Amino acid sequence: MLALIYFSILSVIAVGSALCVLLSRHPLYGALSLVVSMVSLAGIYGLLGSPFVGVVQIMVYAGAIMMLLTIVIMVLNGARDSKTPMFDRVSLFVFPSVILLALLLGFALISTPLAFSPETWRGSVALTSATLFNTDANGPGYFLLFEAIGLLLLSAMIAAVLLAKKNLGSKESEETKEVQ
Amino acid sequence: MELQASYIQIVALLLFAIGISVTLTRRNVFFVLMGVELALNAVNLSFIGFAKTLPATASVAGQILPLFTIAVAAAEACIGLAIVIMIFKSQESADIDNYSNMKG
Repeated sequence: MLALIYFSILSVIAVGSALCVLLSRHPLYGALSLVVSMVSLAGIYGLLGSPFVGVVQIMVYAGAIMMLLTIVIMVLNGARDSKTPMFDRVSLFVFPSVILLALLLGFALISTPLAFSPETWRGSVALTSATLFNTDANGPGYFLLFEAIGLLLLSAMIAAVLLAKKNLGSKESEETKEVQ
Repeated sequence: MELQASYIQIVALLLFAIGISVTLTRRNVFFVLMGVELALNAVNLSFIGFAKTLPATASVAGQILPLFTIAVAAAEACIGLAIVIMIFKSQESADIDNYSNMKG
């Protein structure tokens, strides 16, 4: 009963702030309500018994990714052309089709028998690290995935640096470098 | 009245629908990126909700995969924002309809 109350509060906050993302005009307000949505999703993860994913959600999503997005919005002044309409003209077709699809999937979900398993494992730090790094017991699958994620993050970082370096090598930045 | 496993999937479905709508209908490029993040979050929630319906060993995979999804989302946001910065320098506009030409 208590879990249902907590879940209702957190999910109302998550869905409501997601609606704020849909309806807000300034990108900064959208980013801040997205942070609220992600933090309440982390609360739902903790409630369901996966505290490690919840902490990673707060640290990486609400912390790092949204911080990056907020900084880029503030640096680039992403709302400078407030004359353009908020919604595309294609949204006349997108909204009904998304609502129809959601109703269809919701009907399928309600009619599917789903129940919590009583002996499910709690996704703690110990279980996560044992699954990822204990290759004798679990095979090398998760460990290889972990290494591949490391390579992916490294290549993403290099690509971002290269993309930004192209800006740094432009004419104006070279002039400022000479001034310094 | 207890917490049912299908409630979590309903919330994930709502978040995914809102994320897809934000991505497809908004014109500001930052809202498009935020909609993608929202949809990825909904998929993570769905993973965790389904993992909790499985017994002991089978419930681990659904709680490990969101970590990888979050890492991929971090890489995606990094590259996406770098591309947006590059386009912003040449276009001076946040309207995604102005980005239709791929000229550098």
